[in-house]
Amino acid sequence: MQEKPILELEHISKRFPGVQALTDARMDVRAGEVHALLGENGAGKSTLIKIISGVHKPDTGDLRMDGQRVVFNNPREAQAKGVATIYQELSLYPELTVAENIFMGHAPRGLLGSVDWRAMRRRAEEILLSLNITDLGVDDKIGTLTVGKRQRVEIAKALSFNARILIMDEPTAALTEADVQRLFGIVRLLRERGVGIVYISHRLEEVFTLADRVTVLRDGHYVDTKAVREVTSEQLISMMVGRTIDNLFPKLPAQIGEPVLEVRNLWRKPLCKGVNLTLRAGEIVGLAGLVGSGRSEFAQTVFGFTPAQSGDILINGKRLDIRNPGEAMRHGIAYVPEDRGTQGLIRQMRLRENVSLAVLRSVSHSGFIDNRAEHELADKSIGSLQIRAFSGEQVVNKLSGGNQQKVVVAKWLAAKPKILIMDEPTRGVDVGAKAEIHRLISELAQQGIGVLMISSELPEVLGMSDRIVVMREGEIVAEFSREEASQEKVVAAMMRDAHSAVSAQGAAT
Amino acid sequence: MTTTTHTTDDSQEQMSSRIRSFLLRQEVILLIISLLAVMFLAFGSDRFLTTDNLLNQGRLLTEIGLVALSMTFIIITGGIDLSVGSILGLCAIILGVMWDPNGAFALPLEVAVVICLLVGTLAGFVNGLIIVRLGVPPLITTLATLALYRGLAEGISQARSVRGYPEEFYVLGQGEFLGVPTQLWVLLIFCILTAVILSRTIFGRAIYAIGNNELGARFSGVPVGRYKIMIYTFSGFMAAMAAWIFVSRVSTTRSDMGSGLELDAIAAVVLGGTSIFGGSGSIIGTIIGFILIQLLKNGLALSGVTTDGTIVVIGTVLILAILINNFIQRRSGNG
Repeated sequence: MQEKPILELEHISKRFPGVQALTDARMDVRAGEVHALLGENGAGKSTLIKIISGVHKPDTGDLRMDGQRVVFNNPREAQAKGVATIYQELSLYPELTVAENIFMGHAPRGLLGSVDWRAMRRRAEEILLSLNITDLGVDDKIGTLTVGKRQRVEIAKALSFNARILIMDEPTAALTEADVQRLFGIVRLLRERGVGIVYISHRLEEVFTLADRVTVLRDGHYVDTKAVREVTSEQLISMMVGRTIDNLFPKLPAQIGEPVLEVRNLWRKPLCKGVNLTLRAGEIVGLAGLVGSGRSEFAQTVFGFTPAQSGDILINGKRLDIRNPGEAMRHGIAYVPEDRGTQGLIRQMRLRENVSLAVLRSVSHSGFIDNRAEHELADKSIGSLQIRAFSGEQVVNKLSGGNQQKVVVAKWLAAKPKILIMDEPTRGVDVGAKAEIHRLISELAQQGIGVLMISSELPEVLGMSDRIVVMREGEIVAEFSREEASQEKVVAAMMRDAHSAVSAQGAAT
Repeated sequence: MTTTTHTTDDSQEQMSSRIRSFLLRQEVILLIISLLAVMFLAFGSDRFLTTDNLLNQGRLLTEIGLVALSMTFIIITGGIDLSVGSILGLCAIILGVMWDPNGAFALPLEVAVVICLLVGTLAGFVNGLIIVRLGVPPLITTLATLALYRGLAEGISQARSVRGYPEEFYVLGQGEFLGVPTQLWVLLIFCILTAVILSRTIFGRAIYAIGNNELGARFSGVPVGRYKIMIYTFSGFMAAMAAWIFVSRVSTTRSDMGSGLELDAIAAVVLGGTSIFGGSGSIIGTIIGFILIQLLKNGLALSGVTTDGTIVVIGTVLILAILINNFIQRRSGNG
């Protein structure tokens, strides 16, 4: 097992204006291992992998490949040395085909330097086949593919560079369970072929299923590297946060009252087909389903973003016509959207301006914004949600993912909602921030707010919800009480017709 | 934890970075460039830096200034309005034709002015409706209405000009109030009004939010469509105001009035630091922008530079200002 590492990093430090992102960090990657990189958001994982992949240059410290010191001035140089990176935001061109994407920038050339299309298609097919990927046509347009398939194209693209080191930044964040299994199969295949894989994930269970070793970072410092077999998840969590978290899901008991939101036979094609749902005061309802099952579409219809075509929405028993988000807000509905970057935040603007955006009326007099009231609101939000920021004047873009998410939540709490719809409230958020958001949701329910929580993480749904509702293809297909719900039952309801697919994937792994 | 030492370090760092970022603000840099230009131009001609000349320049920049103010709102939302010059022409013609004592309408001048303002506002409203309700990009919409409104103006005017307005009509464009050209007071009022609206109100904040992330603004309950229609309507109104002042200043009405005005207005806005991609900018910047352009035009002319040469200089200044701005943005935004 003590083979020589392909890649070594030593004494790496990196400073950005205002932040010491990394201090004396180190890591090494061996051939044929999956090396997990763990840490809370803002711990320095992203900076570290950007140094490996040539996006950033370290202020101090060495990178060595096969014992030789190397300097990457840009990602291209890193690629040339066999370092490939798959980022959270996939970087494919939706209008081009699979083959064109795989060979973007280094297409095989024919005579006179023109692109050799046949060679390109053939080699793309070879690469896909070598990864046991048979359900992708090299002529498919990327725009028509699911997220899972696009990611497989990314991996194929990385391999087209003969990658020896493959960095995967939260590859499962947006994937369905079936796609996660396929991804694991591919990762194992690559490991057998001697590729060194750096794997970043917020899901500890993935680390235990997949990784051989794990390196933990905290606040930009190196904590430790361990063999996965020798650690427990409790140990890893306490290494990451520097304290022990007893219970990740501190669901507190709440008084459940009258229905605050009743939805009857709500239609909005194509993905909201006759939905019925009741949400009571103080209740947390978990809305489970695969990606694309219509959960967000349903929520956005209730919120008036895509107004309903037919059906009734009753708030406190009164039938209302909600035609835009402004009206939904006036009736006490808040919606924390799924994608904080494009929907939840105006990232180029300040924290203060983001927190107040949905409630500008409450911090203004006859149309004029009251600066003092707005500052107070921002400071209050920073304090009550423990947002790590200099002040309300900080631009949201510069906050870590978890803190950005807290800003979105703060923004909607400022609206003092009676009905809070949260779409993936903890996606891409570190363990500490996650626990805080969960506690917050619990407390809100205790205060009598009805919470509808959309989540793709089953432990979160099972741990937080009083009731679990499952959507599939735009319809509600199952409902479980907290007591009767189990991971198996919910998953079965989520993908009742997807059994064949699951067993096929089993064979692939 | 060493939180306390961190905080003092950070706040000091923040303080000095705040001073630095103030000095590096586009408006401040532009102001410095303007002052340098004034000094330079003053050497070129004795007549440049005189009160009379400067006040007279104020008369000339009012029309562009008014339109640039509303253009700032539009460009901050990431849009553009190319039709303002044509709206100006259309409104000027409407004013003349409605009033013309020998024409078909022969309305009182006051009524003609009101109709002129209404037509401009309606023209802007139509732009807004097409952009918001039909989803046609602002560039295409206003490029089309640029042709449409100019065509209407020419059709209505039948190549005739209207002149011979009563004496009191010229007060706005040629008169003075407290020793300052009348229209400069109008411009000043609108400068203050728009600056306050943009920087202090809910509406202004929403305009920035729309420009930075329209989807995010909609998810926050901002009535994006209504606000956009409002700013294009306002743009039409401002073009009509400019038309009124223009006619009063030059004592005549022609259908080709205001052609090319949109480019001067856009140049002033962009020179003033408003990003053409939307999301940032200020009225102060725009004000400095249109003053600088007018001073350059005038100063160079007085120094004996030809009109063609002046245009070349203004183009060069515009490109330089944008390069400097980009350079600063890249340095300060590098985080």
